[in-house]
Amino acid sequence: MTTGIDWISIPLVGLPLISSIVLLIFIGNMSAAAREKLGPSIRMVSLIVSFIMLGVTTMMFFGQMDNMGDWATLNFGSFNFEHRYEWIEALGIHWSVGMDALSFPMVWLTTFLLPITIVATWNEKNASVYFPLILMMGGALIGVFVALDLFMFYVFWELTLIPMFFLILKWGGKDRKYASQKFFIYTFTASVVMLLGLVTMYFLQPESSGPLFGTWTGRTFDIPTLISHSQAANANGMWFLGESMQKVLFVMLMIGFLVKLPSVPFHTWLPDAHVQAPTGGSMLLAGVMLKMGAYGMFRLPLAMFPHAAEFFQFWLLALGMVSLVWGAVVCLGQTNLKKMVAYSSVSHMGVILIGIATMQPLGWAAALFMMFAHGIISPMLFAVCGAFKHHYHSMEIGAMRGMAKHSPWLATSMMFAWMASLGLPLLAGFVAELMMFLALWHFLAAENWSVFWMVGPAFVLAITAAYYLWSMQRTIFEGGDETQPPASLHGEPVPDIADSEKISMVIMAAFTILFGVMPWIALDMMNGWTVAFFEQLLIPILNGGV
Amino acid sequence: MDDVIKPFGDGFVTALAPEFVLVIGLFTLMIVPNLGDAKFRIPLTQVRIPWLFGGKRGTLDSDPRLPGIFASLFFVMAFILAAVSFIGGMETKTIASGTNELLKVDEFSRLFELIFYGALALASIASIDRLPATSRKDRSVSGLYNNRRQVDFYILLITCGLGMSVVALAQDLFLLFIGLELASFSTYVLVAFMKETKEGSEAGMKYFIVGSVASGVGLYGLSLLYLWSGSLQFEELTAHFNATGMDPLPLTALGMLLVGFGFKVSAAPFHFAAPDAYAGAPGPVAGVLATASKAMGIVGLLRILLVVAAPEGMEDSTTVWLIALAVLSVITMTWGNIAALGSTNPKRMLAYSSVAHAGYMLAAITAIGALNWDAAHADTSRTAALAVVTALMFHLVVLVCFKLGAFLVLSLLESENGGHTLESLGGLVKREPFLAVAMFIFMMSLAGVPPLAGFLSKLLVIMGIVKAALIESTASGNVTFSEIHWVWYLALIMVINSAISVFYYLRVGLVMFFNEPEEGREGPLPRGTSVRLAIVACVASTIYFGVGAGQLIALCESAANALLGVR
Repeated sequence: MTTGIDWISIPLVGLPLISSIVLLIFIGNMSAAAREKLGPSIRMVSLIVSFIMLGVTTMMFFGQMDNMGDWATLNFGSFNFEHRYEWIEALGIHWSVGMDALSFPMVWLTTFLLPITIVATWNEKNASVYFPLILMMGGALIGVFVALDLFMFYVFWELTLIPMFFLILKWGGKDRKYASQKFFIYTFTASVVMLLGLVTMYFLQPESSGPLFGTWTGRTFDIPTLISHSQAANANGMWFLGESMQKVLFVMLMIGFLVKLPSVPFHTWLPDAHVQAPTGGSMLLAGVMLKMGAYGMFRLPLAMFPHAAEFFQFWLLALGMVSLVWGAVVCLGQTNLKKMVAYSSVSHMGVILIGIATMQPLGWAAALFMMFAHGIISPMLFAVCGAFKHHYHSMEIGAMRGMAKHSPWLATSMMFAWMASLGLPLLAGFVAELMMFLALWHFLAAENWSVFWMVGPAFVLAITAAYYLWSMQRTIFEGGDETQPPASLHGEPVPDIADSEKISMVIMAAFTILFGVMPWIALDMMNGWTVAFFEQLLIPILNGGV
Repeated sequence: MDDVIKPFGDGFVTALAPEFVLVIGLFTLMIVPNLGDAKFRIPLTQVRIPWLFGGKRGTLDSDPRLPGIFASLFFVMAFILAAVSFIGGMETKTIASGTNELLKVDEFSRLFELIFYGALALASIASIDRLPATSRKDRSVSGLYNNRRQVDFYILLITCGLGMSVVALAQDLFLLFIGLELASFSTYVLVAFMKETKEGSEAGMKYFIVGSVASGVGLYGLSLLYLWSGSLQFEELTAHFNATGMDPLPLTALGMLLVGFGFKVSAAPFHFAAPDAYAGAPGPVAGVLATASKAMGIVGLLRILLVVAAPEGMEDSTTVWLIALAVLSVITMTWGNIAALGSTNPKRMLAYSSVAHAGYMLAAITAIGALNWDAAHADTSRTAALAVVTALMFHLVVLVCFKLGAFLVLSLLESENGGHTLESLGGLVKREPFLAVAMFIFMMSLAGVPPLAGFLSKLLVIMGIVKAALIESTASGNVTFSEIHWVWYLALIMVINSAISVFYYLRVGLVMFFNEPEEGREGPLPRGTSVRLAIVACVASTIYFGVGAGQLIALCESAANALLGVR
């Protein structure tokens, strides 16, 4: 446990949550006119708060804080900026935070996306409520990633639903009522199943006493303690909690995470939520919220139930493959730009799942990097979609032709984002996909699995290129009467995107290139974490008793 | 050792101070609004002495809000007195005449008193501005009559509170029943109090008929128990049950008592009157029915099932009521949730959600029945039972915060021309953002979304059930899934049910934030500072108990200990 300033709880979780609540209470007592008038200043306050957060995480990245270890060489099970406070003593619940190389990229990504989201949706209506909600969303998301206590993890996991629900409900599209409800109920249902799994696991752990353990349950919610318990119990071919129990709990936890990811049979909430969500909501939803699922898998079931993970390896791989292929195939049939992008997210999440299912260090690093790269690229995709919606009042592919002439900035951004997402070399997405392919080859060769498993991903490469190029060609290039603005404008002059949008697009593009050309900036720490995980936990356990 | 006090002996009044405050309140309410300038002429003389009862009343005591303010003050005072007794460790005091224990003041009864007085205080504060009252300048007969109704309302609330505290304190089944009836009769009238609306009278009638049938069945069960054991003291009943528990006579009696208390907690299939009663009753009264009255039923169930027919005492360590209660709980929670999905009246919806919550609590009690009390497991079983009862207490305490709060918000709506449809909530966020946000917080808390109190209470109940299901498994360490006791599936059914429930709770939020206000409801809501104050208190405690629940859990644990330690 490190001492000193709690750099996580205070600036990264407390600041956005408290400032957003204070702003909302402050706003709640005002008349509509006064609220309208205060909008710009509230936006500015939100931007400043998000910049403070970005500054803190960036300093953390460069190792400029006291008492911190290097991200890439952090031992498995040790955390930077660990702090713990008593919460509910009787049950062993603590406010316990810390970051390792698994959570840090996600936290940085969240703080990176917050100012970008605020800038990209600078002119959103009802600003005085919108921007505090974005901040609250950011605080809740970071809370999920830094929580080292299962209770706290679950609290933040569910807390993310509330601002997102309101973002979709108040700023969403035509069917926002249906979409927000579906989003909430779908993910909530999965979460309560996960909760029951967590509680069952809580009571199955051996009873003990100590500062981390509940005074009258004798058990703990502390994640590192649970992991080290399970590590010992999983050794020598034994199964932590017993074989059938471990499998059941693995499935229960995975239900929660697979729905959030989402993987194919559980993905149907995503397109609805995305299409109806406002641009800012989509950017955070696709950029960070989906990654909560993958993050949760790494943090809990894969670390605690490795035997079960090995047992269900085939199913995970199959789910990943189906998500990858199905997501891409469905994209081909979409006429709505945003829906297409949403399904492409499902496809990319399939890549993450495949990476996890390979159970190879390279595959896991690929999954981690995919989480990060997709977190930068997909907000750009959604920002482009939002710009179409905002300026052309339509997201129908084919309703607009030859946009490149009318609005070169939007066309360039779209082209860049689309290329990044389909995996153009030297852009961030490519690195992750390449690594995943290599890991999958390696895995198939090592396990003597049929090489036909490769057909799906290879096939998808072609499909992905097809739907992206096709939609791009039909939107910004040829076709239609290029001298005429699109019909959805009803004769208004054709605008290009606003300056604020340009700024955010350029920043996201710059980072896509940065992490494409120099992936090791982020990849080093991910690699370090993965290797430590395999060396210290997975390999001893899985090879131990065989 | 426990202090034993004779009725009206030394220390009797201090032991029952909160109750005596309420009795004083009862008389104050009768006297104060009647004070006037009446003079009494001594016969055959011209001497008139001021008599003060009747005549022309003063400006202060003819204020229709006066009874409400008085009642609220007395409830708050009783609440504080009950709370003060926790400070520095509770002294257990038993009130007994001869060898018969009558009442017992301990953490358990005091915590329930806190629940009752808290709920009643909030309801009475909220009613101050809400009851039909005529301007105080109106001295016509109907105007005066209208203002006198205020007194009736609060007198009934106070007798309700007295009855409830007798239920919590009682150590004798008969006394418990008397308290139950005292509270019930007050609520029958309170439900029908809005006689101007036809829903009010209908609700009161239905509630009265079904309630008295349920009470009658319970009373019959009581008489069978008496026939069997010759005593209605809990201690003697427990001893008797441990000796010859499986006889048909006490089992029949137990089943009948279950009907009586099942009606109070609105468990299916005895819940049919609840939605009508809640929908027709004034909002604050419906809130009391859903919180305090339900807590009273739970006291009865806990006493009967955990103390009298205690699972611990059974020779073959199987509990007689286990299967029956499990079935009842599953039916109750599922029925409640499914019926709530289809109801368009927000109060009916809350009533059905109350039924669902009763199902969760019954599931928790069932889990205690599943414990194994043989020598090897007795200690872990005891802690598991403690955990479950603690969870129940916590649930009942926090239910007062958000369920009552939701009813209070609805009471504001109903005071502007009915408001019996979900659409009446439309556009609430535009009309009064604070109320909409408060209602949303209550709904989310009912659904069990963190970090609100409702989440923690649901988590504690689930944890209690899971802990009880796993006690035989955890001893060995390695568990196979099929070995787990089947009550674990109650927890699964419960989480699935709470996922279903999100649908209708969320719908309230959607209507408030999404729909336009209903026709004729565009303007600001009716005024009423006191209701809003009560709602603020509810919101604050809902959030506080969700985030900083440590102390409350400790309190509930001490109460649970007091209940289970009796054995």
